[in-house]
Amino acid sequence: MNIRWLIRSQTMVTLAAGMIYPYYLLFLKNLGNSFTKYGLAFAVFTISSAIASQWLARSVDRHGKRMLVASSIGMMAAMAAFPWVMSYTVVLLLQLLMGVCCAMQKISERTLLADLTERGNRGKTMGEYQFWTSVASGLAVVFGGYLIDLLTIDALFYVSAAIYGASAWATWRNNGRGSASAE
Amino acid sequence: MKKTFALALLAALCLHTYARFQSPDQDPYLITDYSRLHPVKVSRVVAGKEEEQLRNLVREARDKGLTISIAGQRHSQGGHTYYKDGVVLDMTAFNHVLDFDPVRRTIRVQAGATWGDVQDYINPHGLSVKTMQSQNIFSIGGSLSVNAHGRDIRNGSLIASVESFRLMNAQGETIQVSRTENAALFPLVIGGYGLFGIIVDVTLRLTDDELYRTRTDTMDVYAYHSYFEREVLGNPDVRMHLARISVAPDRFLTDMYAINYVREDSVPLQAHNRLRERESGVLPAKIMFGISRKSDWGKDALWTMQKALFEREKGQLISRNNAMRSESAFMDYQSATDHDLLQEYFIPVDRFAGFIDDFRSVLARERLNLLNITVRYVNRDEEAALSYATDDMFALVCLFNVPLSEEGQAHTKQAIQSVIDRVLAHKGTYYLPYAAYPSAAQFHAAYPGAAAFFRAKEQADPAARFVNYFYEDYGKDARR
Repeated sequence: MNIRWLIRSQTMVTLAAGMIYPYYLLFLKNLGNSFTKYGLAFAVFTISSAIASQWLARSVDRHGKRMLVASSIGMMAAMAAFPWVMSYTVVLLLQLLMGVCCAMQKISERTLLADLTERGNRGKTMGEYQFWTSVASGLAVVFGGYLIDLLTIDALFYVSAAIYGASAWATWRNNGRGSASAE
Repeated sequence: MKKTFALALLAALCLHTYARFQSPDQDPYLITDYSRLHPVKVSRVVAGKEEEQLRNLVREARDKGLTISIAGQRHSQGGHTYYKDGVVLDMTAFNHVLDFDPVRRTIRVQAGATWGDVQDYINPHGLSVKTMQSQNIFSIGGSLSVNAHGRDIRNGSLIASVESFRLMNAQGETIQVSRTENAALFPLVIGGYGLFGIIVDVTLRLTDDELYRTRTDTMDVYAYHSYFEREVLGNPDVRMHLARISVAPDRFLTDMYAINYVREDSVPLQAHNRLRERESGVLPAKIMFGISRKSDWGKDALWTMQKALFEREKGQLISRNNAMRSESAFMDYQSATDHDLLQEYFIPVDRFAGFIDDFRSVLARERLNLLNITVRYVNRDEEAALSYATDDMFALVCLFNVPLSEEGQAHTKQAIQSVIDRVLAHKGTYYLPYAAYPSAAQFHAAYPGAAAFFRAKEQADPAARFVNYFYEDYGKDARR
């Protein structure tokens, strides 16, 4: 995998996550919950993410790319499931799943970034990375608002799932190519 | 280069969005209602929680000279729930069931509860609401204030199923109101649009939940009246009814279909009375509805699709409670430049076909974008002071897509007034929860009891503590 593809796939991930994140609260409020329960849902997410990170850390050096793919597929499943959720308990279960996916994505993303860059020469790549993921985030948020207005919040979840799917594919496609070749 | 382009694209998108959504109805610091017309700044929005707090609020308003407007789910569309610089009392948290008597078949519920809350509570007991709107999203207090009606054809307007309610008046006193206590207020508050005080809680009479088998028929607008008299009213097993008139250009205001809910005793209710929680098919319905909003071929395609879906409903079993919680999410619409607004016309049953011919001509001339017409029946019931059912009426619920610009609104107002002229010519009335397009003269022609209604308002609330835009638009002149 080369750094350009890593940036592309992670830009897609940011796009998919960015369009959901601010509107997720609206979705949970539609289920009739309080802000406290919203907070609780995120706490559950962080617990599963923390535990998963300890377990996954052992294999990230060997399976970083696979982890990125698995994370995107897991998130795709979670996004596709949200419109069908009718209970808070299922929301918590999905938060657990997303916590694991988040741990996979964060630690493999960081490890690959380190692997694909050289000590003393990382600044430019990090800047590129931050630029593209930020721009993707901005576009995603605005686009997400338009999409909910035009269609439904369910449609937003499906679009997000599709983008996660595309990011999994983009990462997988480059699975075999030159391993640590930075640009 | 790529980066500059991406950044410019994001910035342009933000600027475009800012400019497009610059209209006052999009200002989060202003208040409006479902119509998004006439946004204003209010002094504050107060969430009603305790009766004592409501009393203190009324007294504070009296001492400081503030006005109070009462809001539930804010689905009314004529500024009934707010007023400039006044206090908006949000009753949605005031939503508990206080008392339930399954033997007498009554329920006492706080005014901010929705029909959905009531259905959830009474469904396990095999009971059902007598009269409510087709959807269950509205608050009980709001529904009383508009004297709602719906698909049920045997129980009249909502007022008929109200046993009593408690009202907090302009003096901050809570009084019991029924047909025997403070009886003069009963027909003023129900269908009184929040002008006589805060409805605190309501005792409703319930009926049995029943199982219905749907029966569907198609006809044209000229055959509908006799069909209705013969097949619907004439068959005591038909409990609910709804019809739809085509707005597709190919069959503009000619084709109709009707769906009847016929009592089915041969199958036990218990197998079918689980409440439906999830709306199905919202996304495709919303897409189709969106296309029909913008194009004639979309309207033709939607009518074809609706008819196919309607054929599929034939012979299905549905509980009364489920028939009274129909879908609405596919109609949600957010656009910066235009909006979907309701109008509702009540036409005496024997005048139906004649009115439709007139309506068709006005619509052709005025080029209004009409998206949907459903027809319900409401029998004559003049108990409410502002009663719309001055005869046995067909209620035509019309959904228009209207521009929000000043010129667009001016044209809509003038066009709707032309429609109302035809309504009045056919001895009809129109419904008051919607935008204040009709003129004051048209209002008084449709509601001859309005002057007495507003005089009673002045007596009950001389300092005009409870006000809203309905009162400003139609009540101020009438008082004199």
